[in-house]
Amino acid sequence: MFDISLFVLMLLGALLALAVYLPLRAGQLSLATPGFYTIGGTVAALLSTTVPELGGNEQTYPLTSVFLELMLAIPLVALLAFLIGKPVLKLKGIYLAIATIALVEILRVVLLSSPWFGAAVGIFAIPQPFEGPEGYAAAFAVLLGITAWGCQRLETEPLGREMAAIRNDELAARCMGVNSERVKLIAFVLSAIIAAAAGVLAAHFFNSWSARQASFDASITTLAFVVLGGSRTWLGPVIGGLVLTALPELLRPIGDLRLIVFGLVILLGPIFIPQGLIQQKRS
Amino acid sequence: MIGSTSLELNGLSVRFGGLQALDQLSFSLQQGEIFGLIGPNGAGKTTLFNVITGLTAATSGEVRWQGKTTAGLRPDQLCNLGIARTFQNLRVFSDLSCIDNLQIAMGCNDRRTALELLAIMDLQEKGTHIAGSLAYGEQRRLELVRALATKPQLLLLDEPAAGMNPVEKQKLQVLLNTIRKQFQLTILIIEHHVPLMMKLCDRLAVLNFGRCIAIGSPQEVQEDPLVIEAYLGRGA
Repeated sequence: MFDISLFVLMLLGALLALAVYLPLRAGQLSLATPGFYTIGGTVAALLSTTVPELGGNEQTYPLTSVFLELMLAIPLVALLAFLIGKPVLKLKGIYLAIATIALVEILRVVLLSSPWFGAAVGIFAIPQPFEGPEGYAAAFAVLLGITAWGCQRLETEPLGREMAAIRNDELAARCMGVNSERVKLIAFVLSAIIAAAAGVLAAHFFNSWSARQASFDASITTLAFVVLGGSRTWLGPVIGGLVLTALPELLRPIGDLRLIVFGLVILLGPIFIPQGLIQQKRS
Repeated sequence: MIGSTSLELNGLSVRFGGLQALDQLSFSLQQGEIFGLIGPNGAGKTTLFNVITGLTAATSGEVRWQGKTTAGLRPDQLCNLGIARTFQNLRVFSDLSCIDNLQIAMGCNDRRTALELLAIMDLQEKGTHIAGSLAYGEQRRLELVRALATKPQLLLLDEPAAGMNPVEKQKLQVLLNTIRKQFQLTILIIEHHVPLMMKLCDRLAVLNFGRCIAIGSPQEVQEDPLVIEAYLGRGA
């Protein structure tokens, strides 16, 4: 009795983990992922519930409309991430993490207090492009596949190596001709795009969308995915996202204690498996 | 080969709060020469490297590279203009393979060239090894060849012989002369090992408390009373 809805959530977890992984690959700890995820979902929720033309004539919401939402959400979030990233990425280490937590918090308060975005209640009755969770599983799998493929390509592309160089030693990387400001910004924007695309699909899957998606808990949860899985290759965050999303569902009796599980992972992970579950092969 | 001016310092000063790290430095490097910088610890030698490579801004004065001021340029831009460096404390990309270290510096995927460069340093067997796993001397050579991989015209070496035994120092001297010819480099080198510098350098400058107290051929500098005083203290 495998629950396909849970599988969809696991794929979503893996996607968000990759969004956290990308800036981390360039040595930047950004916790802004839930923020961009929420913006993507909000764009989808608003468009699909307020623009009747997108609804089509069929019983289910047309896939082309979901595609249009993506085409709108992605450039919007990319632009936002670019504008925010330029100043924010001047911060280093823990200061960047704190600033990105603040960004998510600002977004949450803005959404909560603005009736346009459903305020505290949220946006309901988001139309369904698929009849069951199978369709969502397929859609998320495609998105995850594309993202993982892109991350795999980074392993052999100059851009991916420049990111690794910055993680290793930013000062030396700059002296070797790496424009670190540009590379970090690209990683940040790519991360935001992945999160936003995941948000668009998630808004339809959850059927409702609210400011609650952009929470500090979500920042910590997505970070835990990467801490558990490891951040040396893209496979680490994917495994971390899949496992840590499934775990609390399988341990349903513990209920809200799952946040403690995440806390323990973040606390104990670096002590016992400092490189995460998936470690880099060394020659 | 030695001829026109490549790098020029005009009244260059750097001040960190109450500390005058560099004080009105003015000299220029001729294309193709090996120019040595010596001086006691804290004399400002590494600060000068940091200014030339864009890591530290000058408080006053300027650095001119091939006739143009370098003020406001980022380290990566200066690297692309042909200025490369090594660091006093090793700064190889220790989690990455030797080939990756070079490909980052080259800015492209070119394993063949990377392996050719590694061969210059006798590291061709280590291409896929993780840089951090190499022996100290190998990492020093890797850092040197990584700087060469950026295709520099000016190479700044910050204590390349540190931690080397006499045989390795001898080899380094030969190696630097070889790469200077092969890559048509101008080399600016900081090194405490004075005998090596005497043999290696065409000209030397001596820094003390941020000021240039002597400049000239190794013989001229060696006999300069100010230099003897800086190193040995004032005679009785």
